[in-house]
Amino acid sequence: MLRYTPADRFAHGLDPRAKLAFQVGFVAATVTVDQGIGLGALAVVALISLWSAGLSLGTALWTFRAPIALLAAGPLIAGLTFGAPWFDLRAALRSARAGGAVLLALFIAGAYIRSTPVRETQAAIQWVLPGRLGRILGVGVGLVFRLIPLVVEDLRRVRRAQLARRGDARGWTDQAANIGIAGLRRTFGRAERLGLALQARCFAWNPTLPPLRWRGRDTIVVALAIGLVLAAAFGGRV
Amino acid sequence: MISVQNLTHQYDSVAAVTDVSLTLGDDEAVAIVGANGSGKTTLVRHFNGLLTPDTGTVSVDGRAVTDDPVYARTTVGMVFQHPRDQFVAATIGTDVAFGPENLGLTREEIDTRVKTALAAVGLKGRRDERLDRLSGGEQARVAIAGALAMNPDHLVLDEPFAGLDWPARQTVREHLAELANNDTGIVIVTHELRDIVSLVDRIIVMADGQVVADGPLDAVRDQLSEYGVRPPETC
Repeated sequence: MLRYTPADRFAHGLDPRAKLAFQVGFVAATVTVDQGIGLGALAVVALISLWSAGLSLGTALWTFRAPIALLAAGPLIAGLTFGAPWFDLRAALRSARAGGAVLLALFIAGAYIRSTPVRETQAAIQWVLPGRLGRILGVGVGLVFRLIPLVVEDLRRVRRAQLARRGDARGWTDQAANIGIAGLRRTFGRAERLGLALQARCFAWNPTLPPLRWRGRDTIVVALAIGLVLAAAFGGRV
Repeated sequence: MISVQNLTHQYDSVAAVTDVSLTLGDDEAVAIVGANGSGKTTLVRHFNGLLTPDTGTVSVDGRAVTDDPVYARTTVGMVFQHPRDQFVAATIGTDVAFGPENLGLTREEIDTRVKTALAAVGLKGRRDERLDRLSGGEQARVAIAGALAMNPDHLVLDEPFAGLDWPARQTVREHLAELANNDTGIVIVTHELRDIVSLVDRIIVMADGQVVADGPLDAVRDQLSEYGVRPPETC
């Protein structure tokens, strides 16, 4: 499961605002990229980002295996035609490039999650969006980041418990229903207990947030983000 | 001081706590024992306002918990049965800092409290470690540190030894003994006395939502089996 891991890496030392700006720039670039050369360049940037966060390519691929499976199905469906020649290679390649761009954006998001504590994200969001909206968004992001790993862990446990009693002998709809219902029940239980724990520890909408420190390297990263946005806006289809 | 007067709490129509009155001093080490479903957890969740009484009052240092829950939650630290349920961050330091951050303290004060709380549970210098890589005993100690960082007068621990192996129980018990010696009031909720008999000087026995016995071990020992609690000498 992808989550923040403390380390002394380049990405860990960046200000979260710079990392968020870089993500925006990167996503903007992926929207416009249409040729192999542009995608290749973005792939290099994405791989450097993964490396800078200490996240291996193998771990990233495994983490995003579910979306990758969906993205892989895209070109097959896009290539199908209702008559001869039955498969349009160009349409499939176009879809594959778009899927590849989405995957690279996921890598960038993975590098961010790996290198940024939730509280820093909350501080960055509240800096970008001051006031109540920023506080709600910041806290919401924090809770989602906290709850999702617990829910995934619960679903795995339900699956293991099912397998331990030969649950795999049942039809897949039965299995899915069992995991879904038990998972939902546990998720509500988790959410309730987490809510109680937050109350017990004086949950506040305006806590003391970690200080944000802007340094030279952050300026470089934001300049790169601006470059990506400009390339997306004026560079045409690369 | 925690004072409970004629507290009653029901879940739908089922009575969990019925007409309970008791007082807990600031430096007391108390065990609240009873069989499953006897109302122990419901009772202590009123101490810092996690539940609202149907009837009766709970006050901390003379202030009604319902009127000033923030005061109650800073004065009475709560450690839940499953430490993982109370973690809100990925690393030890950020989780322990969560409570003090909510109080709006300065970063320097927060850092001081985190260091002190981690030292009190034997986790000094480990603030950057990931919580999901800790053993059960270490997670229990982080949960205690999270409550200690609020600088509470009382620490309420709900089944703190559940699921821990013997060495982990020993370690947690040693740290609780240190806290008790340093004038932190300790309230331990359990159905198993063997781990805490040397720690506490008062035992409150609950059954069917009521306090059925209250006093030092020698005074309540004969009644324990009757209410589903194993007396310590047979452990």
